Order: sequence, then C-alpha cells, then structure tokens
Amino acid sequence: MSARTLTAVAVLLIGLSLALPALATGYVVYIGNLLLVFVVLSLGLHIVIGEAGQFSLAHAAFYGIGIYTAALSAKVLGLPFWLALPAGGLLAALCGLAIGVLSLRMRDIYLALSTFAFGEAMQWVFLNWTPVTGGPNGLAIPPAEVFGHPILTDKAAFPLVAGVTLVIVALVAGLHASGLGRAFRAVRESEVAAAAVGINVRRTKLLAFTLSAFLAGAAGGLFTTFSTFIHPDSLGFQTTILVLTMIVVGGVGSVTGALGGAVAFGLVSELLRQVPSYQEMIYGGILILVMMYAPRGVFTLVGRR
Amino acid sequence: MDSEIVFLFLQQGIASGLVTGSVYALLALALVIVFRTTDVANFAEGEFYMAAAYLAFFLIALVGLPIWIAAPAMVVAIAAAAGLFQRVVLRRVAAARGVSVNLVIATLGLSYVLKGFVRATGFGDTPRSFPSVVPEGSITLGHASLSYLDLAILGAALAVMAAFFAIFNLTRTGRAMRAVGMNRRAAQLVGIHLGRTERLVWIFAGGISAIAAILIAPKLLMTAEMGGVVTLAFAAAIVGGFASLPGAVIGGFIIGIAENLVGLFVSTRAITVAPFVIIMLVLIFKPQGLFGGRLRVRKV
Repeated sequence: MSARTLTAVAVLLIGLSLALPALATGYVVYIGNLLLVFVVLSLGLHIVIGEAGQFSLAHAAFYGIGIYTAALSAKVLGLPFWLALPAGGLLAALCGLAIGVLSLRMRDIYLALSTFAFGEAMQWVFLNWTPVTGGPNGLAIPPAEVFGHPILTDKAAFPLVAGVTLVIVALVAGLHASGLGRAFRAVRESEVAAAAVGINVRRTKLLAFTLSAFLAGAAGGLFTTFSTFIHPDSLGFQTTILVLTMIVVGGVGSVTGALGGAVAFGLVSELLRQVPSYQEMIYGGILILVMMYAPRGVFTLVGRR
Repeated sequence: MDSEIVFLFLQQGIASGLVTGSVYALLALALVIVFRTTDVANFAEGEFYMAAAYLAFFLIALVGLPIWIAAPAMVVAIAAAAGLFQRVVLRRVAAARGVSVNLVIATLGLSYVLKGFVRATGFGDTPRSFPSVVPEGSITLGHASLSYLDLAILGAALAVMAAFFAIFNLTRTGRAMRAVGMNRRAAQLVGIHLGRTERLVWIFAGGISAIAAILIAPKLLMTAEMGGVVTLAFAAAIVGGFASLPGAVIGGFIIGIAENLVGLFVSTRAITVAPFVIIMLVLIFKPQGLFGGRLRVRKV
C-alpha cells in the first residue's frame, strides 16, 4: 500500500467519523462498524496467508476468543475498553502462537485441515462451555467504557472503531514495507531460500501466526464496542471463509487488496441478506467467477506502483 | 460401568461404526482420488453428496421413477456435473493461477451454489426422509443388532470400493490416474491426456459421492446442510494419510467406529467435536497419517 493510498484511507475514515454519526441512520453506522471489524480481521488473515503464505483456517476462533475475552473482562473484571481490547488480542495471540507451532511441522492441505479442526473445536468450546460463554444462549456484551463513559450506540462507537482501525491499517502497511514483511514474503516464496539468506524461518512463521491471531482478537475487541450480543453460531467456519474470500477476492498478498476486499465483500454479503433465497447462489457464483477471471484479486491493481 | 455393558457397547459401537464408516470411507475415497491426481482439496464434496440425495428424492418421490431407474440416472447426472465443473471451472482457474487457495475457493464457491440452489427449490427448508427399498427388520450378531438396511449399506459400499480398486489398479485408465498423481509431466510424456484424466477423476469422485448418498440417505433426514458430514470424510482421509486409497477406507471405518464409541461411552454432545480432536491428534503426532508413507519432498 502506497503512502498516498494510506493517506486517502486516513482522510476517508476521519471524514466518515465526523460525518456519518450526524448524517446516517443507526443501521448504516452499524454496517460501517461491522465493515471496519472485517477490515481488521482481513488484515490479520492477510499477515498469515498473504504475507507469510501459511494456510490458516482458524481465524473465526481467534476472533471469538477476542470477543469473549474483551466482553468478559469488561463484565467480570470491569476493565475499561483500552485494556479489554488488548486483553482479547493477547489471549488470541497466545492461542495463535500455539497453532503456529503446528505450522512448523506441516504445510499446505495438512496445515489447512489442522487449523480448520482447531477452529471447529473452539466453536464447540464456545457452544458448550456454558458457565463462561453462555453456551447456546449466547452472551450479552456490556457497553464498553472509555474514560468512565459507557458507549451506548453504534454512532458513539464509530469514531473509536475507525480510530483503532486506522492505526492497525497503518501498522500493517508499515509491516508490509519493513524488513519483517520482506522476511514473511521470503518464507512464503521459499523456506529454503529464506533460511539461506539468514532468515529464522521458525521464528518468522510463529510471529506471523501470533500477529495474525492478535489482530483477529483485536477485531473481536472492536466488535464488543458496538455490539450487545454474541452467539457461537457466528464464530464458525462460515466466518473464516467469509474473511478468507475477502482477502482472496481482494487480492492475496496486497494490503490494499485485503482492505478493499473486506469493504466490498462485507457490503456484498450484507446486501445479499435482502435476497435470502439467492444469497448463497450469488455469493458462490461471485467466488467462482473471480477465481476464473480475476485470480489475482480485484483490488490488486489499485495502489500498486 | 460393569464389564458386561462395556462389552455390549463395544460390540454395538463397532457394528454400527462399520456401517456409518463405510459411507465416510466412500466420501473419503472421493476426496483422496481428487487430491492425489488434481491437487485440489474438494470442499464441495459434501454438496455433491447432498445434491445427489436431493436429486434422487426428486426423481423418486416427485417424478415417480422406480428406484432402479432413478438411482443410476442420478449417479450418472452427478458424475457428469462433477466432470463439467472440472472442465469449465477448475481447468480455467488452474490455468489462470494454479495456486491451491484459488482452487479451494472455487470449490467453496460451488458448494455455496449447490446449497443455495437446493434451498431455492424449497425442498431444503424442512428435513425430509428418503424412501427405503430394503425391508424392515434386523439381525443380531453377538450382542450387536443391525438392520437389513445397515447390512445393505455395508455390502454395497464394500462392493463399490472393490470395483473402484479394481479400476484404479488393473485398468489402463486407472493406471493413467495414478501416473498423473505421481508426476504430471512424466505422465504427459508417456502419452497420457492430462485434461481427460483429471476430468475422469472428478467424474469418478462425483459418482462415488452419489452412490454414498443413495446408500445412507434412507438412514437420515435430508437437509441442505447434510453435506457437513464431509468433515468426517476429511477426518477419515487424514487418518489414512490423505494420499492413500486403502488408508482412506480404513480411516473411514476408524472414524465411524470412534464416533459411535464416543457416543456410547462419553456423551452424544462429544460426538460433534470428536472428528476435530482426531484430526488434530493425528496431524500433530503423525502428520503423514497412518498410511501416508514418507512426506513428499517438493521442489524448492
């Protein structure tokens, strides 16, 4: 992502934070919040798949860990938002590190399936650990607190969500351009070649999984600022696939692609709710057509020098 | 739990596990042949199976065809559809950018299209039961009881597996499929038509999934989500090493039996998580599966 694109994103987000709560309806602002959460989720998955080339299918689980940790630490411990969000991110990152250890032993389809299994097992835990997560009844999320003020509406949450998202977009763009970003891509292209030029492949892979999970957990923390309820049904394979398709349709390996894919595909999947009987067919059709005719993603041309 | 009940549960669990396991084995077989020859993890496998069950239901219950016409017609139709998908979509995706994540997403797209299509017809909304052609009744083996339907499922599944192994190991077509799986370029050099062989593999996989559907459909309720059973087939394929055909079959039986024993000895709630725990344990401790042999060394 070029500095110009980043500036454009910053201007857009700041502008929306000022204008949206005043002009738009609560539902539109809610969608805006949700899209920003998807942006953070996509950037997280982008780090592990797009940058480091490791196939992970457990993203929804890390997201869920972030949501439950942030919600429960606010509810039970009374932590303010600025502590609850990193708490969610850190716990998710810890699980990400554990899953990263798997990536040292396996690759491709085996890694994909073991992370898939972890994700499904976590969803089962969310669904059955009733004393903590509320199980099939779901969990009511208390309003997030910022400097003693509770955030009660989507409109009040939007500037906060936009601010955190902007910071994360800038950090991921910076990561892409940094030495670590180059190390990630070297590991993606060839582990042997990466090791030959002195990159610690083990540490790089573990870092990719940990950072990716941290962002997913942070996205979960963001979700708790404007949402009042979470149910394990929304934390399964479907969500992982939604985020995966966002980055692949947007363009694997490009920060702009992950960002654009998240916004565009988030909107598409939200709009498709209006036509429930054709939703899945259209969604599947888009996936097939993009893979056939735009295999490098729809947004990779934007922001590429 | 005293030893007599443990013994009884064991027998029943193994007997029922063999029956459900035979269906997982068929689906795992379809996954593995596709993965071996075309390097695609087919996430639409479960939806082939689901679409097949609905197509059979449509032909039998609504059109009124007798089952011995409807069943073969359905198997041919699903096999042809799988071949068509390979020809029209996957060939193009592989040519555009042969990255495995792109191929996986294309199959995911197909799975959504099929699910959406079945839902849009309106038949997917309420669970439906499938007419059975096998008479009611059961036999007792030791302390385990199996219905005639169970025996028919197990017998038919074993026959299909035997036929498939014969094709794969003894015919020229089967040898071509194996050759493509081992080394695509070398296979091409000795005159094997790559595109045709890959298409045939997909046709076979579609046919096997359709047969699995018609076997097990009378035992369970049909919903648009019934393709979720493919998770168990993935687990079976992983236990078997994901590249080995006998491994997939044995993996299917292991998963079927494990699932039934977990249901009997632990709890029915634990059944849903059991396959994922098995997948993770196998991959962590023996990533190449029980029959995968050594890991493939790829070009760097």
